[in-house]
Amino acid sequence: MSEDTFQTHDARILEVKDLTPREKLFTLRFADPELSRNFKYRPGQFVIVDIRGFGEFPISLCSTPTREGYFQLCVRRVGRMTKYMHELKEGDIVGIRGPYGNGFPMEVMEGSNLVLVAGGLGMAPLRSVLWYAIDSGKYEHIYLFYGTKSYEDILFRDEITHLLKHGEAMNCTVKLAYEVESPSCIYLEKGFAPRVCKGVVTDLFRGEEFDVTNTYALICGPPVMYKFVIRELLDRKLSPGRIYMTLERRMRCGVGKCGHCIVGTSTSIKYVCKDGPVFTYWDALSTRGLI
Amino acid sequence: MRYVKLPNENFDEFFNSLKNWGKVYAPVKQGNIYTFKNVEKLSEVSLNYTRTMLPPKKFFVKPRDEMLRLKDSRWEKCGEAEKTVLFGVHSCDIHGLQILDKVYLDEPADPYYKERRENSIIIGISCMPDEYCFCKSLGTDFAMSGFDLFLHELPDGWLVRVGSVRGHEISWANEELFEEVSEDDLKNFRAFEERRAKAFKKKLNKEGLADMLDLAYDSPVWKKYEKICLGCGNCNMVCPTCRCYEVCDKWINAYEAVRERRYDSCFMVSHGLVAGGHNFRPTRLDRFRHRYYCKNYFDPEAGFNCVGCGRCDEFCPAKIEHVKVLDEVREALE
Repeated sequence: MSEDTFQTHDARILEVKDLTPREKLFTLRFADPELSRNFKYRPGQFVIVDIRGFGEFPISLCSTPTREGYFQLCVRRVGRMTKYMHELKEGDIVGIRGPYGNGFPMEVMEGSNLVLVAGGLGMAPLRSVLWYAIDSGKYEHIYLFYGTKSYEDILFRDEITHLLKHGEAMNCTVKLAYEVESPSCIYLEKGFAPRVCKGVVTDLFRGEEFDVTNTYALICGPPVMYKFVIRELLDRKLSPGRIYMTLERRMRCGVGKCGHCIVGTSTSIKYVCKDGPVFTYWDALSTRGLI
Repeated sequence: MRYVKLPNENFDEFFNSLKNWGKVYAPVKQGNIYTFKNVEKLSEVSLNYTRTMLPPKKFFVKPRDEMLRLKDSRWEKCGEAEKTVLFGVHSCDIHGLQILDKVYLDEPADPYYKERRENSIIIGISCMPDEYCFCKSLGTDFAMSGFDLFLHELPDGWLVRVGSVRGHEISWANEELFEEVSEDDLKNFRAFEERRAKAFKKKLNKEGLADMLDLAYDSPVWKKYEKICLGCGNCNMVCPTCRCYEVCDKWINAYEAVRERRYDSCFMVSHGLVAGGHNFRPTRLDRFRHRYYCKNYFDPEAGFNCVGCGRCDEFCPAKIEHVKVLDEVREALE
């Protein structure tokens, strides 16, 4: 195994879909059928995409392992590598290695309520959790609180509107907060108020009561978001051990060698790539610098 | 531990025999510094060297290292590990390598590092501390493992500790060069160690160091040193346990590319930067503190990440002293 730690495997792009002007959804499958069959992952894990000769970058898996035969990556065009990625078309081959990281402890949370709190691109890894939870049917109730900039920035818009309409039948409550007003948002708000409103993601907690002994919160979003969401959850007395966050850092290797994702102080050091990227809020309290 | 004695008159022959086990690298004086270089004769070697500028990590994690080569749009692994004998490694550097082992050999192992490690022989040598050394404070002044042979200076030769089967095989192949250890040799060995223990000038107070540092997160001392530090990253390059690397793909010509990795430094602005422009360690204060926290992280199983070799002090252009910084942080807290 160690012989090919840094070797990447051929994966073919089956489909490229524009989610927003900045984000594309890539559906991929390993060229080797055996590899494809054996590719198992957990929600919250990530892979390293290799555009050979240009570089590698880590991207979280946004598809659910309950749907086999393919996996999906949501890529925002934001830098050099993602620009190359966005130029790729259906049928092109990229290298993939992984999955890496710990992922969310889905088994531990079985039978509980899940509160997914997503901000912007944070929707991508949580989409994996969302569909895993809905598909497996092993969770009490699923809440998705999604904060987005504008209507155009809503990722997986058709899935979100579908769940806004029919979510309750799947034990799933979706709530959406947008910041920039537009006719489309107002139209959405008219149809689904009070679940769609203008504001920030923490506004969506208003009026919701959770049984804190039977609830887990899963958060992913831009670094500034964590503090506010966690304050909201702590106000409701949700234990720091029940708050899961997935974090981002610079990563080169994905396996705890290259050193970029080291966080912490003299008493506790974590590698975000191999000890994370999913941490509890308790981890953040005992390891300085995580959030 | 198995002990044998190598008399001075056989030293030259023993040294020459090492070539049978691989290419021999040993500390050599070069200008003002020492460096591990390929040597042919014992006379080239500086047996009493203080420290090399680059630690022996350069043989296992190279400053620039080709990892993969693109052939027909697939990566092929680069590089065969050559058989090497590292002669004259100090005990702090042996401890340094063991800390690197913990990182690089942890599953999934780094194939390049692993191969090079397996193909190398480590021969340690005793040393006398200079004004920068503080390995004694960290307990890295004596290596109990991590070497094949370890030579301790005696008035009339070397007391050799055999640390591995491979080490035993090396001494076995030259059986006629070695003698059994006498009572006098052991007495001399102990006398040397005692003399050495007294020669340390620098001392690190490591009592509760990890907790003390954690509490001193907002210490004004970090802010003071932020202004003194040049952010050059020299301390990372010369540190035997710094191992951050950056990866980059390079085109050699229109159809051939290599994936190369090279040393990175946590003092560089780009170290904490992610796509989209967010930097997790945006100021020099963050980066300076980060290095001290990384080095002084206390792993209950393996101890500190610092081995007290004194390189970061000696090669710091701003003359920042590791121990002094830590002492000042402690003082400011009290």
